[in-house]
Amino acid sequence: MTLRARLASWLPPLLPLIVSLGVAEVAVRLAWVPSYLVPAPSEVMQSLFDDRVELLLAAWATLSSALAGLALSFAAGTFFAIALSSSDLARRAFYPYAVFFQTVPIISIAPLLVIWFGFGQPTVIASAAIVSVFPIIASTLLGLKSTEPALLDLFKLYTASSGQILWMLKIPFALPQIFSGLRIASGLAVVGAIVGEFIGGGGLGSVVDAARTQQRIDRVFAAVLISSLLGVVLVGAVNFISALSLGSWHSSERNSS
Amino acid sequence: MNCLLVFLSLAGLPFAAQAAEVAKPTALQFALNWKAEPEFGGFYAAKLSGSFEKRGGLNVDITEGGAGTPVVQMVANSKVPFGIAAADEVVLSQARGTDVVALFAVYQTNPQGIMVHPERGFKSLGDVFAAPGILAIQSGAPYTLFLQAKFANAKVKLVPYAGGIAQFLTDANYSQQCFVTSEPLLAKKKNKPSQSFLIADAGFNPYGTVVIARRQYLEKNPKQARDLIGAIRDGWNDYLRASESANAWMVKLNPAMDSETMKESAEVQKPFILAANTPKKELGKMNSERWTTLVNQLFELKLIKKKPAVEKLFQNI
Repeated sequence: MTLRARLASWLPPLLPLIVSLGVAEVAVRLAWVPSYLVPAPSEVMQSLFDDRVELLLAAWATLSSALAGLALSFAAGTFFAIALSSSDLARRAFYPYAVFFQTVPIISIAPLLVIWFGFGQPTVIASAAIVSVFPIIASTLLGLKSTEPALLDLFKLYTASSGQILWMLKIPFALPQIFSGLRIASGLAVVGAIVGEFIGGGGLGSVVDAARTQQRIDRVFAAVLISSLLGVVLVGAVNFISALSLGSWHSSERNSS
Repeated sequence: MNCLLVFLSLAGLPFAAQAAEVAKPTALQFALNWKAEPEFGGFYAAKLSGSFEKRGGLNVDITEGGAGTPVVQMVANSKVPFGIAAADEVVLSQARGTDVVALFAVYQTNPQGIMVHPERGFKSLGDVFAAPGILAIQSGAPYTLFLQAKFANAKVKLVPYAGGIAQFLTDANYSQQCFVTSEPLLAKKKNKPSQSFLIADAGFNPYGTVVIARRQYLEKNPKQARDLIGAIRDGWNDYLRASESANAWMVKLNPAMDSETMKESAEVQKPFILAANTPKKELGKMNSERWTTLVNQLFELKLIKKKPAVEKLFQNI
């Protein structure tokens, strides 16, 4: 890639960032906005640097909980979606309850999670899993239901077993949807983990909670910045795996790589 | 005909509005940082007795808060003119560049404490920290940092405090932060005995439940501030004498605490409000020694980088 091409690909996402950071910095420096309401980007940077050890440890705790929650919701969600896709009756009976996970206001049930799972990581993981399971169920289900009928007929013609149809046809065909569900879920898992940490303790959630108590809004922003970075990292990881597993055959990844 | 009516009413409107303005009391919002409880009894008593109206024609709207209501920031940002905070929050806020000032302190002794199960046989706060178990406490709060610094090498596990006493009732190894005027009484109501240690006794004793406003606002509205604080002082003197009517109102606002517990709490908190023989007109006043101690403590805990001038932190009205 030439320098020019590189600039062309980096500039569009960077420009809004630079402009908005610049405006925020100037607004705080000129006291248009008091710094106890919106911290200057330079203050946030200073906090990122000053508290780097604590923030890194917290980020690691949050990331590991979010990953564990995501793994749980992926396993449970995929299993659930396969079960639902296998029978119309099951889908009609259970799908409405899957929607429950989509709508549950996690912040209001988080205190209950503490009572069920105790303080610490189990509560955080449960919170991450609960908020991230629905997109996985919904997308996987959609993927499993949209197998090309002609191919399904072909498999039936060769008297493939239902297990073979599932593993060799339906799941491979559902992969793009499964990955798009995972992409949504991975961002949500970080949010779920942080909410869980508000109540269960540890990680970036604790850092935000303490910083808010101390009116350290720069530190709140620093922690929020890192949490969104975690989201980006997770989504990036899903994209990477998606490209690896779909790149050789599926149009959605072939074009982009 | 209709047109004529509309015209007449429109023509009359400015006059009507003007007349209403003269008669209408000044509406003021007063933001609490927790639910209606005896901690705020005097404010409700002042409202009930009409003190706010009598003193300065003030129509004060007392709004309840909850866990995490950022009252200091709301006041600092002029979203509400007056509110409630703890003295340490005022210092932190000024250190962040605001002009929030303390005007009236309900609690001379801070009722913030740690509530434990008596079966565990703790004799002091040091014992609570030295024993394994769980302590639910607001992370990052000045009193938390103070206790952590004072009782280093703690064995107890600190966890976030989400409010209420549900966990305390079910877990024998669970200790939690409390206002000794509130949560221990709620636990007793549920037939759960408890023992409490005051953080003030360990050496951290900022004024509690402090009325705050912006200095800029006070300079623009000196009479209003005088009237408001005067009415609040009246209200607290009333409430200390007889708490029933204000309690009856607060029970309606906050059914989580029944009237019996409210009454008991109002009794328990009296020694926290009245220093030795406080005269009526001295109620709520603060002194600079206490503020200096607090500023020094917060500085040592590294919560503030520079010390704000003590005389700018509070104003006795």
